[in-house]
Amino acid sequence: MALTQALTIGIDIGGTKVAAGVVDPEGNILDRLRRDTPTKDPKETEDAIAETVRDLESRHDVIAVGIGAAGFVDGTRSSVLFAPHLAWRHEPLRDAVERRLGLPVVVENDANAAAWSEWRFGGGQGESHLVCVTLGTGIGGAILNDGALQRGKFGIAGEFGHMQVVPGGHRCECGNRGCWEQYASGNALTREARELALSGSPVAHNLLRRADGDPRNINGPMVTELAKDGDPVAVELLEDVGRWLGIGLANLAAALDPGTFVIGGGVSDAGELLLAPAREAFKRTLTGRGFRPEARIVRAVLGPEAGLVGAADLAREEATWLRRVRVKTSAVTAKTAARSGRSARLERVARKTAGRRTGMRVPEPESLKEPTEFELKEPAELKGDTEA
Amino acid sequence: MGLSIGIDVGGTKIAAGVVGADGKIGARSHRDTPATSVDETAQAIIDAAAELIAEHKVEAVGIGAAGFVSADRSTVLFAPNLAWRDEPLGERVGAALGVPVVVENDANAAAWGEFAFGAAKDVEHMVCLTVGTGIGGGVVIDGELLRGAHGVAAELGHMRVVPGGHRCGCGARGCWEQYASGSALVREGRALAESGSLAAAQMLSVCGITDSSELSGPMITKAAAAGDPCAVELLDDLGRWLGEGLASIATLFDPSTIVIGGGVSAAKQLLVKSAQVAFEKNLPARSNRPHPSFGLAELGNDAGIIGAADLARRRESAR
Repeated sequence: MALTQALTIGIDIGGTKVAAGVVDPEGNILDRLRRDTPTKDPKETEDAIAETVRDLESRHDVIAVGIGAAGFVDGTRSSVLFAPHLAWRHEPLRDAVERRLGLPVVVENDANAAAWSEWRFGGGQGESHLVCVTLGTGIGGAILNDGALQRGKFGIAGEFGHMQVVPGGHRCECGNRGCWEQYASGNALTREARELALSGSPVAHNLLRRADGDPRNINGPMVTELAKDGDPVAVELLEDVGRWLGIGLANLAAALDPGTFVIGGGVSDAGELLLAPAREAFKRTLTGRGFRPEARIVRAVLGPEAGLVGAADLAREEATWLRRVRVKTSAVTAKTAARSGRSARLERVARKTAGRRTGMRVPEPESLKEPTEFELKEPAELKGDTEA
Repeated sequence: MGLSIGIDVGGTKIAAGVVGADGKIGARSHRDTPATSVDETAQAIIDAAAELIAEHKVEAVGIGAAGFVSADRSTVLFAPNLAWRDEPLGERVGAALGVPVVVENDANAAAWGEFAFGAAKDVEHMVCLTVGTGIGGGVVIDGELLRGAHGVAAELGHMRVVPGGHRCGCGARGCWEQYASGSALVREGRALAESGSLAAAQMLSVCGITDSSELSGPMITKAAAAGDPCAVELLDDLGRWLGEGLASIATLFDPSTIVIGGGVSAAKQLLVKSAQVAFEKNLPARSNRPHPSFGLAELGNDAGIIGAADLARRRESAR
């Protein structure tokens, strides 16, 4: 089977559900599985992953597995340093799962995985400077420059949800106060809606009725539904979240200057009810507005399965890459060599090379060398291995 | 590899230098900045460079300018202190000199200088702040300067840290540079003195002045170095704002090193220590992640010249 048609498995591990699927090279999901996440014991989570893969593998021929996990994934994409909703602490997930499955495994932060699929198949296609913001319970973030995920020194770049936007503001699980995700996420929408209903305000009458009279029943999707029906207070609640979204995006634009923001996650189901006020606030708070080109703000197109598809596609990249090119980090100058893994630059180089290739031809080492500010030293050391 | 010229265009001075591939500055030239006239400013830049080109064989010229620089690194889209609006500076200077010209944002150029030859020469992920009148930012990711889609990335001083806060020259309110810059330091010092605070009165006498309107950033730094408690507190407050803002910035870039430079960094550890303490207290999920290191910039006022020259040379050699 040609690698370009090979299937991979993507697994999205959330705080409550494990969603897995078999994904083809065009990002189509051919088969799906869902189960609860065992949250207490890392071993049980591994078991769940292994069982899920074996189940899917029994019906499909797959070459690799990608895991998107809500948490800090280290720079080598092998360990989960910390996961807020799972028991992982410096968990060497990749190696453990690889050993059990005998397949190449890639571990990626869930928001990064989702962003990757939006860039490959969704709202961010063709964008050289993409920032993805996933609005769920909290806020997940990812930065893609020229199709390379920016991971930072330790693998945990793009955690936008924890930018401080209000000094001394709402408490956040990360240990701080005033994080963006306390103002522009599903949790924020729910909190504000419940508070309004609890205050007994007559404007929240519809909202409370939809919640059977109990503010605790109010949730984000309920507010979105009501807003779509034209309920003024639900529209306002989404406007408020949208405004905070736009303000935070203006901060990100000051720092990152992207061409496009893709907004995904459950809250983005509200569509223009959320994005129109976000654009307005963005335009009103962006530094240097009027004297600079401005980023587009668009909705993600892939929905809740973006993470799964992205993880699977990253696994395909990795498997393809591993088979075709073995690059030793020693072949690179100290500045560009990444930790114990590959540098983003090497990935980018490999990706470009891979993109140009159609068959199984092994690239000449010279083709890995691109004229850049840093040169890859001693290209002769870049060995191309043919597939066994 | 040959020589290149780096030019730092400030609000009052234009400083140029011939820089070798080792980042060392040889000959220098200076001009005053004629801030009001676009043509005169361009001419002053050309003069400063021509003076050096007459004596040295250079391959390229790099210009660091405060403002938004286009993605192709030739046009200044907007400069807050100079009269440039969509000014094709690179083309203009290049045509006059007959040498390829690269235009860079001044803070980017300074950050690159520190990355290539200064405080961050051994790392690949760096955030560099130039803390002066405002805050200039420069970010290096995986060994590459972050420019963004349109060339105007890393304007870190204009991230909003206080909703509805102090007015900023950029048109917004509550920008970081309104709280963590030299201007903020002086504003707070003066406000304290005008409130009638005895501690501030003592600080003024340590500074050798009686009128709070004469108070300047360097005075406060000097008084703090001499142990004046009021000046120490003012710098401590500034450091705290710096550290809190950097904690937010670390969530974006996950750098291995944070470098602090610019005029205010003359306060050295008085500033960096309090910034680092505030940073450590405010980094999200701080107990479950590696932390970046903090360092002072090493190249001083030359960072912009060295960085601009090096970026110009690198682009030429990549061609």
